[in-house]
Amino acid sequence: MTKKYVMLADATRCINCKACVIACRAEWGTPLGHSRDWVREVEMEGPGGMPDLMLLPGRCQHCDDAPCVESCPSGAAYQREDGVVLVDHELCSGCELCVPACPYDARFLNPETGTVSKCTFCQPRIDAGQPPACVGTCVGRALVFGDANDPASEVSRLLQEKEWLRLTSDGVNVGPNHYYHTGGRPLPPEALPKPTTPHVQGRLLEEVVNPLAGAGLLGMAGVFVAAGMKKLLDRRSEVQRQEGGHHD
Amino acid sequence: MTERLIRVRDRRTIALHWFNAACWALLLASGFGIISGDDVRLAPAFWPGLVQNLAGGNAPVVSFHGVLGMVWAASILAFALFNLRRVVRPFLAEVLVLTPVTAWRDLRFTTVTLLRLFGLAKNAELPPQGRYNGAQRLLGTLIVLGSVLIALSGAYLFLAPKLLPFAANPLYGELFRWALMVHAGTVFAVLTGLIPHIYFAVVEEREALESMKSGQLPVDFIRHHNPLWYEELHRSGKI
Repeated sequence: MTKKYVMLADATRCINCKACVIACRAEWGTPLGHSRDWVREVEMEGPGGMPDLMLLPGRCQHCDDAPCVESCPSGAAYQREDGVVLVDHELCSGCELCVPACPYDARFLNPETGTVSKCTFCQPRIDAGQPPACVGTCVGRALVFGDANDPASEVSRLLQEKEWLRLTSDGVNVGPNHYYHTGGRPLPPEALPKPTTPHVQGRLLEEVVNPLAGAGLLGMAGVFVAAGMKKLLDRRSEVQRQEGGHHD
Repeated sequence: MTERLIRVRDRRTIALHWFNAACWALLLASGFGIISGDDVRLAPAFWPGLVQNLAGGNAPVVSFHGVLGMVWAASILAFALFNLRRVVRPFLAEVLVLTPVTAWRDLRFTTVTLLRLFGLAKNAELPPQGRYNGAQRLLGTLIVLGSVLIALSGAYLFLAPKLLPFAANPLYGELFRWALMVHAGTVFAVLTGLIPHIYFAVVEEREALESMKSGQLPVDFIRHHNPLWYEELHRSGKI
């Protein structure tokens, strides 16, 4: 059976030590000012009206309907059968059409490579049977990674044992494969994804150029197919008329 | 009785036309095969998959498209430079529609010609045409200006990611995205114009297609379709 990789983040176990962020940056050598993962702190009202803090470790959500893949013009953004969304750096032009398409703000233009960078679930490590760097270093075991299609995996067991939420909203549900356990509390609205605003050129391509091109090509082809048909029918009538005249 | 023929174009010009046509066919096939993202895809979904599978991935398709595009642009530029006075300047002087008055005149000619294909506007008067009629001038202008835009935007799309540090200046990426839009939009505009070009060559005016192989046109065809050109040829003693 095809694997289906998912990441589970137990917000009740996260202590905001950011060991995951350090491990990721060490693993991937991300340049200063950029990171492939993060821990989001959301202030909220806790039980009894007391101030509370929800900690949400985050990264690329490796969505089933990844909008970054759909907006990539060069085919550099792609998704493997196991659900991992990757970037082919040989193909990536660095045009950044994918960057604002991501509702989780998980992509950035790497100033050292000139290509777009993001969490890959540590693809070389997982392909070698190791956990992603962030999971391997998580002090509180808040992060668990594995194959959700394997009933014997830890993620399968945890998905059944606990209540898990995903970062989706009314306007944005692209099938993220990153789950959160919040101990029964709802995800705070500010943590939920908002509809994205793509680059104007991407919108023009999608909403103006492509529809106009389709209509123009089909319309023009239709006109000249009709003209050809009329010419054929006229010619047939002419031949019949001539043959009729000849017989007379 | 054999019809009188006159040579109207040389072998090099004919070779350039068919070279251009072959390049367009290959560039369209490969270009539409590059973009697979649903939001920006230019061709039906199966096409990028088919092309990339045949080529063994998208990288070879991108390289093929980019290199062929540069060969295409460089070849046409070289032809233009080496044949500037003899072929290119006279062609551009005849074909380019650069003023609103000529654009309106040629648009009217094109509309009436189109209507006549369906038996309409038979009584509409059309002015006598020169070597290129109004529809050919409009299409020629679209192809000439479109080719320049396609070549420039294509060169930027292919070379800029290899030569410019996109992360150092957001303008490089901004230009890339505009170039992508201009490239796709212009290709579609020219492609739309090529439909009537091919229809007239194959269905309505086979003599024109034949002349793009032999270089010769029947004198009667010129007299009927291009009376101003006929007069010009007559005056210069070529007919």
